[in-house]
Amino acid sequence: MRGKDVRLQDVVMRFGGFTAVERTTLTINAGEFFSILGPSGCGKTTILRMVSGFIRPSEGKVLIGDQDMGALGPARRPTALIFQNLALFPLMTNWENVAFGLEARGVDRKTRRDRAFDLLALVGLQGHEEKSPNELSGGQKQRVAIARALAVEPAVLLLDEPLSALDLKLRQYMRAELKDIQRKTGVTFIFITHDQGEALTMSDRIAVMKAGVVEQVGDVDTIYDNPRTPFVATFVGENNVIEGRVTATGDGFATVETPHGMLRGRDQDRLSVGERAMLFVRPERSARVNGVAPDNVFDARFERRDLEGSFVNLFFKAGADSFIVHEANRGGHGGLEGAVKVGFNAADAVVMRAGEIEAEADDA
Amino acid sequence: MHELLRSYGRTLTGVFITLTAFWMLIMILLPQAFMIEHSLWWIDRDDQLGMRIDRAYSDMGLLEFDLGQADTPEGKADIQERIDGLKADIAAMEAEETAPPKHYGFDNYTKMSALHFEIFLKSIGYSLAVTILALIVCYPIAFTIAKLSTPNKAALLMLGLIVPYAINELLRVYAWLMILDYQGVINSLLAWLGLVSFEDKSWVPFLEYSGSVFVALIYAYVLFMIFPIYNTVETLDRNQLEASEDLGAGVIRTHLRVVIPHAKPGIAVGCIMTFMLSVGSYSVPQIMTRGKSGDWFSQLIYRQFFESQNWNSGAAYSFSLVLVCLGFILIMMKVFKVGIRDIAK
Ligand SMILES: Nc1ncnc2c1ncn2[C@@H]1O[C@H](COP(=O)(O)OP(=O)(O)OP(=O)(O)O)[C@@H](O)[C@H]1O
Ligand SMILES: [Mg+2]
Repeated sequence: MRGKDVRLQDVVMRFGGFTAVERTTLTINAGEFFSILGPSGCGKTTILRMVSGFIRPSEGKVLIGDQDMGALGPARRPTALIFQNLALFPLMTNWENVAFGLEARGVDRKTRRDRAFDLLALVGLQGHEEKSPNELSGGQKQRVAIARALAVEPAVLLLDEPLSALDLKLRQYMRAELKDIQRKTGVTFIFITHDQGEALTMSDRIAVMKAGVVEQVGDVDTIYDNPRTPFVATFVGENNVIEGRVTATGDGFATVETPHGMLRGRDQDRLSVGERAMLFVRPERSARVNGVAPDNVFDARFERRDLEGSFVNLFFKAGADSFIVHEANRGGHGGLEGAVKVGFNAADAVVMRAGEIEAEADDA
Repeated sequence: MHELLRSYGRTLTGVFITLTAFWMLIMILLPQAFMIEHSLWWIDRDDQLGMRIDRAYSDMGLLEFDLGQADTPEGKADIQERIDGLKADIAAMEAEETAPPKHYGFDNYTKMSALHFEIFLKSIGYSLAVTILALIVCYPIAFTIAKLSTPNKAALLMLGLIVPYAINELLRVYAWLMILDYQGVINSLLAWLGLVSFEDKSWVPFLEYSGSVFVALIYAYVLFMIFPIYNTVETLDRNQLEASEDLGAGVIRTHLRVVIPHAKPGIAVGCIMTFMLSVGSYSVPQIMTRGKSGDWFSQLIYRQFFESQNWNSGAAYSFSLVLVCLGFILIMMKVFKVGIRDIAK
């Protein structure tokens, strides 16, 4: 394993009077696939540029493999950056692109050419060595960029939304490819994305950011099952939200008084009685109620259904709140018109202090 | 053509094309054709001709006198014959005097004196030097404005560069004259520092060095070098520079491998413009040297036309210059591997 860990210690980044990244302390382990997830403009690229050395944090330190990077420039750090627009050199051939880092290190032409050809073969681009990057498709360019970054044998590979320009099919293929390369090389990957699905499928751990603040860091299951803030709960995956006031707590559970009656969920923030709270429950943990009743049940009106293939989305309305239920597609979704009962188990719901939620979750 | 027709209709398109053709014909093709034609012939004026005619007339007077004195009819006929021959000669010589014979050929090009040829080569060499110096000076400036400054600062810098060009070229050159003159700004400064003295004329004679012409020429034509380079560098994606840096390349390698290849068309255009303007510049060397550090070829051409009244060799000289410029364009296109299309951009 040749990856190194990256640590941000009390890092703050200001541009003039504007704080792009609030005080952040973050450790990215050696050899892990780490994603930074957040909406546009939240400061993801800024963090990446601090790690790669293009900008110096206004406060705090960046350490890579226990070494303080201080004022070291990008050329002297053990990192390689894959740009949002790839930034391949259009006037060089593909192999020269890949060999450029070696050229800068004074490796002789024959050696670097061989190395570039090997790397292009690794990313599946045999036969394209002498072409210009402009003669390649989007996915192929992507792979040249990856090979070019790997050529300098970085300990940390930084990827700034490298898949955002690709179409869905290619994106899914490249996800697997990237993951595979990461496993083979053992390099630490810091992957930036605003696509929560991408972050969930690829990462070992995720940091979710909002407006310059890292809201939560954790492995994918933790982020999905135990979101710490309303923003994380709604930004990562879909969640039904029901607002109310806490009426009782105990045994790690909280009861919330809502327009739909008393609902119970896991008490994450150790709430006190009387506080405004939000209850989140995933659509796939919610259900229509026919026979055995779960812990929480309330009345709802059926609105419409979207067939997604293997499952269906059922949209309900309870008062002013919408409530979505994912159901496996086993046929027989008829007879839903009018009032029905929906519900969920308390263990599947999270109750937390009320806060700002992502209005339009997941734009991917 | 079709697009023109579609967007402007028949009449306007006709007007455009006529105007363009007119311009090409009157402003470019005709003068050049005139130059080429003039450069290809010369008039063989015989300096002795007038004298020879005079002598023939006095000979004739003598013969006419002899004719009156002759006593034999044979002698008379003999003298009359010589008079007739002389008359024919005089008529031929007078015809030649009013319409001297035109000869066609390349003599105007080949009979350039050794001195003039030296000046020709020197002017080309100097213009090349000016072009290279201008490139060295302008490339960093263009790059800095295009890539290292914020948009606002770039606009300000550009304005700063352009403002002096609102002033007439002659005035700008005279400004340099004032700076570099014997008792000019720099020498005054040196005198103030006690390094030179005006009394014993120990000033530095900047104007007697060809360097002063270089300085003024570079200054006169900087914009023609900066603008094309700026335009191409401007279009370079900033991420390319960062990618190069991130991969470990230093400033020089980044420029050699990333920026310059991208800016090639701009560099080629800048060099071509600066070279052509320098080699053809008349006012700058005229003003700056005041005849003290030798002629430039452009001054030579001027004198052929307007002082020696020798339009034929003037035409040959200036057409040689045109050929040199064309050659320079072709070499630049070869060296920088850019096509006409890139240059036209
Ligand atoms: N050099 C800079 N000067 C001033 N402000 C900047 C600079 N770089 C970034 N910012 C600001 O910092 C904020 C975060 O920018 P950043 O590029 O990190 O966002 P991002 O999360 O990468 O967004 P996206 O997903 O759109 O790429 C933005 O509001 C941006 O305007
Ligand atoms: Mg970004």
